[in-house]
Amino acid sequence: MPGLFPKWTNALPTVTAAMAMGGAVTAVAGVWYYFTPKYWEAGYMPQQPGSGFNHQIHAGKLGIDCRYCHTKVEQSPEANVPNVATCMGCHTENRLSTEFVKDEKVQFIRDAYATDESIEWRRVHKLPDYVRNFPHHVHIHAGVSCYSCHGQIMGMPEVFQAEPLSMGWCLDCHRDPGKHLVEPDQVTRLREVEQELTARRHHEGTMDVDALVEALRTAPPETCGACHH
Amino acid sequence: MSSIHPDQYVSDRLAGRGAAAAGYAPPDPGDGSLIEDPAVRAPLVLNNRSFGEVTEIICGYAEKAPGKWWMPLFAIAGLAAATGTLMIAYLIITGVGVWGLTNQVDWAWDITNFVFWIGIGHAGTLISAILCLFKQKWRTAVNRSAEAMTIFAVICAGMFPAIHVGRIWFIWMVFPLPNSNSIWPNFRSPLLWDVFAVSTYFTVSLLFWFMGLIPDMASLRDRAHKRMLASKRRAEKPRLGDVIRAYVFGMLSMGWRFSSRHWHRYEVAYLILAGLSTPLVLSVHSIVSFDFATSVLPGWHTTIFPPYFVAGAIFGGFAMVLLLLIPAREVFPNFRDFLTLRHIENMAKILLVTGMMVGFAYSMEFFIAWYSGNEYELSVFLNNRANPAKAPYWWAYWTMISCNVISPQVFWFRKLRTNPLVVWIVALAVTIGMWFERFVIIVTSLHRAFLPAEWHMFHPTPVDVLTFVGSCGIFLTLFLLFVRFLPVFAMAEIKAVLPQAHRHDHDDDHHDDHHGEAH
Repeated sequence: MPGLFPKWTNALPTVTAAMAMGGAVTAVAGVWYYFTPKYWEAGYMPQQPGSGFNHQIHAGKLGIDCRYCHTKVEQSPEANVPNVATCMGCHTENRLSTEFVKDEKVQFIRDAYATDESIEWRRVHKLPDYVRNFPHHVHIHAGVSCYSCHGQIMGMPEVFQAEPLSMGWCLDCHRDPGKHLVEPDQVTRLREVEQELTARRHHEGTMDVDALVEALRTAPPETCGACHH
Repeated sequence: MSSIHPDQYVSDRLAGRGAAAAGYAPPDPGDGSLIEDPAVRAPLVLNNRSFGEVTEIICGYAEKAPGKWWMPLFAIAGLAAATGTLMIAYLIITGVGVWGLTNQVDWAWDITNFVFWIGIGHAGTLISAILCLFKQKWRTAVNRSAEAMTIFAVICAGMFPAIHVGRIWFIWMVFPLPNSNSIWPNFRSPLLWDVFAVSTYFTVSLLFWFMGLIPDMASLRDRAHKRMLASKRRAEKPRLGDVIRAYVFGMLSMGWRFSSRHWHRYEVAYLILAGLSTPLVLSVHSIVSFDFATSVLPGWHTTIFPPYFVAGAIFGGFAMVLLLLIPAREVFPNFRDFLTLRHIENMAKILLVTGMMVGFAYSMEFFIAWYSGNEYELSVFLNNRANPAKAPYWWAYWTMISCNVISPQVFWFRKLRTNPLVVWIVALAVTIGMWFERFVIIVTSLHRAFLPAEWHMFHPTPVDVLTFVGSCGIFLTLFLLFVRFLPVFAMAEIKAVLPQAHRHDHDDDHHDDHHGEAH
């Protein structure tokens, strides 16, 4: 009786098994890498209205404190975006030397001010709607620097999302806050914080981490209700 | 064949008088039912079938078109399955509110159906695993179809927990997969153990069933291939059915060539899988019972649940085997040669034993409710379940008791347990009763929990009902496809229990134990 299947089909089970294994590994690796906020969300950099707001110049070069614009960050869950009047404090016509400011670049601020309209700055850091408002004031007072979540804002001409903001990323810090805490009065000094936290990774930090964690008194919560409605 | 009553025969033989003392002529009833003389075993296959006849008959079921009954039955089952599928689609699109669930009764028909179906599977596992290890040769008549029922029942069972979560697109969260939320399922929850128990159960059962099918599918492959070649020799086009059978069974039989080495490995693997499945018979339904027993709800929080659930599962499983195979005896030619009255009688006895085990559990629940002094628990049993004056669900409770405890008692009578119609009716009653058992456990405990202000009745919606009917349709559709296209008996195993397989047969008291010696 001649065979039903040609001889080459003997290789089929091995080939199928190898392909299935390869496919499974590829699928797992692909999901592992691509299906994450680290891949999809980190690096998000929306186009801001007008000529944008250059954090590198304002916060980095000029050394304006974060709280000059984000005024309520120490009292409110929300780190508010300033109104146009705050911008106009400096950018009123002929106030600053043309050496620094090119009039046409800030014209959109003056226009908005003249017509009494808001500038629609676009939100960069977003959390899903099943997460409560991220309480900025709580974190600031606990000694979590702006740097830990927003990255080196002082070096960003245009702000982008530096961290994944995934739940796992939140929990990394809540489970081991010692890696990220600084003295609460230092939280907006992003350059110094960056140096300190980088040094801490190599065990060369100068701050007393144990004292900082001790001063935190209550451990950061890990219960569902801490962050979810 | 003698007309003398078997009991008479035995007493004659033991007393050394009558025809029995003169010559050894066991009175064979001819229908395969058990012979009272313990020295004589009832034949496992009737009508002296040869190896070739066994192959012809069993392959014939899978190759020839079945009788006129098949198509209408398949249409009905398929329609039910399609309706159920539509209901599930409607549920997923709309939400679990389309069921009659309320804040108080948040598990009802969904989990009832889950436990019902998962229990049905247990007969197959018991037959293929435990009865194999105990060398119960009568299992060869039912193991293939009972294992198939296990697979189909677990498919129906698995459906319900999956759809009852509401947002089925998050169902992957039941598996402990690393994720960017850094969260895991709760390893201390029996609901998670259920996921592992049921998926292990399905995998092992499927492997067991498939491995047993390999030699038989190879027979179907070779027969189809032979017919293909015969058509070719006659310069005709081969029948499409033969071509499909040859290639599909060719792939599924994985190169089986009936060599001694294949058989050797097959038997080793069979034994390993039987060993692996044996704890599953006990573990799966124990873990299902933990879903209830580890809670604090009176009526659920009971240590007797694991053994009680396992006994109930085997009880319900055998009832389903009888429910489907007794009609199969009627509609398939020569089916009775393989599934004899002895097999039905054996399974009826299992129904009797396990029925009394669940009956014992039912009464023990009352005893413990009283003995523990827990008034809430006693109240669940008296006021929510048993007392017609107070319990709104008394009818469900007494349906359960009459079907599960009372109806199998007819099997004390030999005449009744060897009457297929009676056995079928009892099997139907038991199947209904076992569904009600789960309904009673789940709904009557939930509908009146601690706070009387929260007490609510459960009212099923048409979607509830049609989803259950749909699951029955899916089960029956799969079973009808199975009897139509696959060998319903394990041919190789049946041939091994034929007398021809053992050369020193009828006069030898221990002919079942020493094969190989005579060769």
